[in-house]
Amino acid sequence: MLNSLLNKSWLKALPLLFLAVVLLFGWTPLVAADEEHDDAAPTAETAEENALPTDDLAAGKMIYEKLCISCHGIEGDGDGPAAVRFQPKPRSFKKAKYKYRTTPKGKLPTDEDLFRAITLGLPGTGMPDWADVLSEKKIRQVIKYIKSFSDEWEKQESSPHVVTVGTVVPTSPESVERGKKQFTALGCQLCHGTEGRGDGPTASALKNHRGDPVYPRNLNKNWLFRGGGKAEDIYVRVNTGLSGTPMPEFSGALDNEKSWDLANYVRSLSPEKTPERGSLIKARSIEETIPVDPDDPIWQEGEPTWFPMMGQISFEKRLFTPSVTDITVKSVFNEKEIGFLLIWDDRSKSKTSKPGAKKISFTDQVAIQFPEKLQPGGVKKPYFIMGDEKLGVNLWNWTSEDNRFFETNAYGVWNNSEVEQSGSDISGKGYYKNGQYRLVIKRSFQTSDSEKDIQFEKGIFYPVAFFAMDGTNGEKGSQRSITPWYFVFMEPEEDKSVYYYPPIVIALVFGLEFILVKILKKNHKKENV
Amino acid sequence: MKMPLVAKASACVFGFFLFLKLGLPLFTSPLPYSVLAMYMILVLISTLLYVSIFEDDYSNFYLPIVKFLRGDEGDNAVRKMSRIAVFVMIPLFMGFRTYKSVQPNFEPPFPQRVIHPAPPGSAAGFVNPYGGDEANHEKYVQEGRKVYYENCVFCHGDKLDGKGFFANALNVKPANFADPTTISMLQESFVFWRVKTGGIGLPEEATPWDSAMPRWELILSEEERWKAVMFLYDYTGWKPRTWELDAE
Ligand code: HEC
Ligand code: HEC
Ligand code: HEC
Repeated sequence: MLNSLLNKSWLKALPLLFLAVVLLFGWTPLVAADEEHDDAAPTAETAEENALPTDDLAAGKMIYEKLCISCHGIEGDGDGPAAVRFQPKPRSFKKAKYKYRTTPKGKLPTDEDLFRAITLGLPGTGMPDWADVLSEKKIRQVIKYIKSFSDEWEKQESSPHVVTVGTVVPTSPESVERGKKQFTALGCQLCHGTEGRGDGPTASALKNHRGDPVYPRNLNKNWLFRGGGKAEDIYVRVNTGLSGTPMPEFSGALDNEKSWDLANYVRSLSPEKTPERGSLIKARSIEETIPVDPDDPIWQEGEPTWFPMMGQISFEKRLFTPSVTDITVKSVFNEKEIGFLLIWDDRSKSKTSKPGAKKISFTDQVAIQFPEKLQPGGVKKPYFIMGDEKLGVNLWNWTSEDNRFFETNAYGVWNNSEVEQSGSDISGKGYYKNGQYRLVIKRSFQTSDSEKDIQFEKGIFYPVAFFAMDGTNGEKGSQRSITPWYFVFMEPEEDKSVYYYPPIVIALVFGLEFILVKILKKNHKKENV
Repeated sequence: MKMPLVAKASACVFGFFLFLKLGLPLFTSPLPYSVLAMYMILVLISTLLYVSIFEDDYSNFYLPIVKFLRGDEGDNAVRKMSRIAVFVMIPLFMGFRTYKSVQPNFEPPFPQRVIHPAPPGSAAGFVNPYGGDEANHEKYVQEGRKVYYENCVFCHGDKLDGKGFFANALNVKPANFADPTTISMLQESFVFWRVKTGGIGLPEEATPWDSAMPRWELILSEEERWKAVMFLYDYTGWKPRTWELDAE
């Protein structure tokens, strides 16, 4: 055994092994250098932790003044520097009107309610979740501090009445059906709209206790519910209402079962799972001409792609409080044309306001953006918000006024470069119903103006982006909801050659093997002879 | 017992592979694939060099392979079977590779994005006008806080973690300043350049067309921009990288 280890051929290998080892360790530090900074977490955090006063109120003040004043203000009256650009505005701790409570409307929340709001945040508002930067202890300290802004708290009963969720009524078609009846009977649709998209007849005139406009929640997007999107969260909300807003409490009209039915119904308005952000629109191939009616059976089929939207805040004029939060897209194509179905929620159908009107509004608008031309390699693109001076974009627009379709080209936002084309090659049809727009836009692959219009072919990835404007929200021009670039793709017919080449290669390789073995055998025979 | 040279050589190569792949991570961070591949090529070359230096070693090395391929009358059933298996596997594998390569590959073109590109010449040498003014440092930081929360918070987030209110709608995510790979490893002048010219001011290798980072020179004054940068460092506790540090 030892002998075979010390066998001379192994010894000969030693210098080489040595060389390899040296090279190996010579290289490692170079590699490690890139990953070095991993462990260097900010030390300020720990230093601050040690420096925190032992008194809870003083500690709470320190945390508050580092993390919360930018929105809630140093005096706690909800007017920090960021306040102007949020809708709804940060809470005023002085006025102490809290929305997301388990206590009756108008009453102060419990510490647990505040704890929940601070740990989980309020989705859909500027109020983030703080659990990742604040420990439970710190959150308790900051709660103590924000309560010190108002003497209302001194009047709070020691054990306030809280709404608790009773025996669960699991969701079922019957429960949902009963809940739907409750919804109408209690008048939810007056504010929230027939299908719950926040488009009820009284919706546009609602104000909160500070006189700011407040919009009934779109109940079809439970991931944006501030107090949580689960049925039990909704149960609590409808029983407690939202203090400082028109959202009433319905505890008088609801018992445990009715609360569950209503909650199950409201929950059923949103998709089971929060949609995931898409990246690619795979257009579906069809034989027929593309129907312009959004309700045509052809548009019922196929998987939709979902894109969240944000306000355009990169160039003046900016839009900090967009009304359209996302858009759903389907696409089909045939031999000649490509078409898109766009679905987006908008809480009001808008018209351009008359000159001198009290509230200025514009039309609702949507646009699909393509590059004017594809760049070689497909990587380089125009700037994603309406292009740039070097590379222009081609926009397919639709406006709710007169149901008009038109094409534009743009070369940047900052220079007001958008120009309308004299003719338009796009067509389609759209309508508004119960807080939702559905719109079909289509165009033939090729047009006569290959300078200004994108030209389509199958098998190529085209950058595509979407814009939406809610005119009642004052959105117009650069003030719009936007998405970044995504892709749209039309899969070409399968190429049959895929099935020819592999067998040919297999046969060839097999032949080579055969020849090789033949030669080896022949040589062997020669040697043996 | 004398091992055949082929077995020894493969044992050597395989042993090295195991060491690099499994042994080394016990001591340091695992090797990236490209480096691993480079080492393995070196080992392979060294081994082949070694076996081919001496005539007899050379034939010792290749003879078993040749024998296996040729097949001998005395071969047992296992040897025969594995021989047939090898002869069938190779063409099938090649056929499969061919299928994979001629099969249309529908992948959208995704560029490799350089996150911290070399700034253009015009971006060098920005000096913080408030840099030396320690007495008023806190005042500038508070003014920077205002700028940040009025302008940047929507994307870069309340906690400066890049998870602002709008971040989910973006493709190239807003920079996370709490992360040690952003402002903590950048020089103040670089950060200022990024704030000044934004995404659209990036060179092409950083895909300027995809970055939502606004060109703040169109909206904020130079003073406001510097104060915002000071706030970023103050809040996160990082220090800008400096030339002196680099020289150390
Ligand atoms: C970026 C702005 C921002 C920051 C920073 C911020 N908040 Fe808020 N906060 C808001 C907004 C906006 C609301 C109101 C949301 C609404 O009305 O739906 C709010 C509401 C609240 C509420 C009221 C919840 C309720 O049920 O009514 C509490 C409590 C609160 N914030 C605590 C804090 C604390 C504590 C901090 C610091 C650790 C903090 N916030 C930091 C924006 C912010
Ligand atoms: C008078 C108008 C009005 C009526 C009637 C009304 N709501 Fe609301 N509701 C609102 C407003 C306004 C808001 C949003 C308040 C805010 O964001 O500050 C709201 C918010 C909500 C929320 C969101 C809570 C969260 O966590 O974000 C739910 C759920 C809800 N309402 C359900 C209902 C149900 C169910 C009914 C009928 C039983 C109903 N509402 C009746 C005005 C109303
Ligand atoms: C519309 C969203 C948006 C806003 C608003 C925004 N940023 Fe950015 N920012 C981004 C994105 C996205 C990136 C990452 C892509 C890039 O590097 O351009 C980024 C990157 C940066 C970087 C580069 C970090 C690095 O590691 O290279 C700095 C510095 C920066 N932002 C500072 C700011 C400051 C200061 C403000 C406010 C004055 C601000 N940003 C406002 C989206 C935004």
